[in-house]
Amino acid sequence: MCIEPCTDVVCSFWSILNQGPMTLTITLHTLIVLPMIWIYFDEKKKMAQGDIPEE
Amino acid sequence: MGKPSVWSSNRFWRRSATWVTGVSAVLLILLTFDSMSQMQMGTAQDIKNKVDKRIPSPLVINYKIDYQLNRKRGHEVPIIGGMDANGNSKYEEKEKFFGRDNYSEKEARELIHLGKLTIQAKNCMDCHTLLGNGAYYAPDLTKAWLDPNWKTLAPAYGGKEYAMATFLQNPPAMAMHERKMPNLGITKQEAKAVVAYLKFMSAIDTNGFPRNFGKIKGAVDAWK
Repeated sequence: MCIEPCTDVVCSFWSILNQGPMTLTITLHTLIVLPMIWIYFDEKKKMAQGDIPEE
Repeated sequence: MGKPSVWSSNRFWRRSATWVTGVSAVLLILLTFDSMSQMQMGTAQDIKNKVDKRIPSPLVINYKIDYQLNRKRGHEVPIIGGMDANGNSKYEEKEKFFGRDNYSEKEARELIHLGKLTIQAKNCMDCHTLLGNGAYYAPDLTKAWLDPNWKTLAPAYGGKEYAMATFLQNPPAMAMHERKMPNLGITKQEAKAVVAYLKFMSAIDTNGFPRNFGKIKGAVDAWK
């Protein structure tokens, strides 16, 4: 089985996230790192278009 | 002037920081609500319906408590009132606690509450650890109820709980280690309540904490 069964006392969304380091890493990367990559390319595009106001 | 880089742009770092702080704050709030639901004490109804709760009902003091290896979860779990074929608690086997196994939920709760107040008043955590909080000058008390030493002392006192209560009322008289516990002036009723609290605490599912407790010879059957 590729997905580990939930082994917590009370199974919930959070206990599944805490099954091991991999699930937590994937979740945090999906929530935090991937959007940051999107922010990076968005800023890059704006810079190229000269949309950035002077600070 | 060179080509402007995103890495040196204030806007990029500000947007990233806002995003990370926002997501982390939301995650922490949701996790707090999840923890709060897991910290709810079980009820008599849960025991009747054989529902496992991380923190069981105070009524567990009426039952036999054991600590067994759960192969699925990979560590020891409390077994209350006997174990079924699947390694879950049966909530059937009772065990006399100070001569009774019919404490009502109210009585049990009051006893455990007095135990908790005594433990706080006498500052047990100055030397002992309870549920991960405290010191390691003296033994960890999280699973003290299941400590095999009490089993050997039990026959001479008419039961494990009597041996523990006698010890608590005058520890130097029953010293078991070089590092002696002082006499803290615990009364008979307080000693009974502290033992009730220790029994209740041993039935809390702590995800296998303290580690390796189950490997103590005679503590449980898990590592035979």
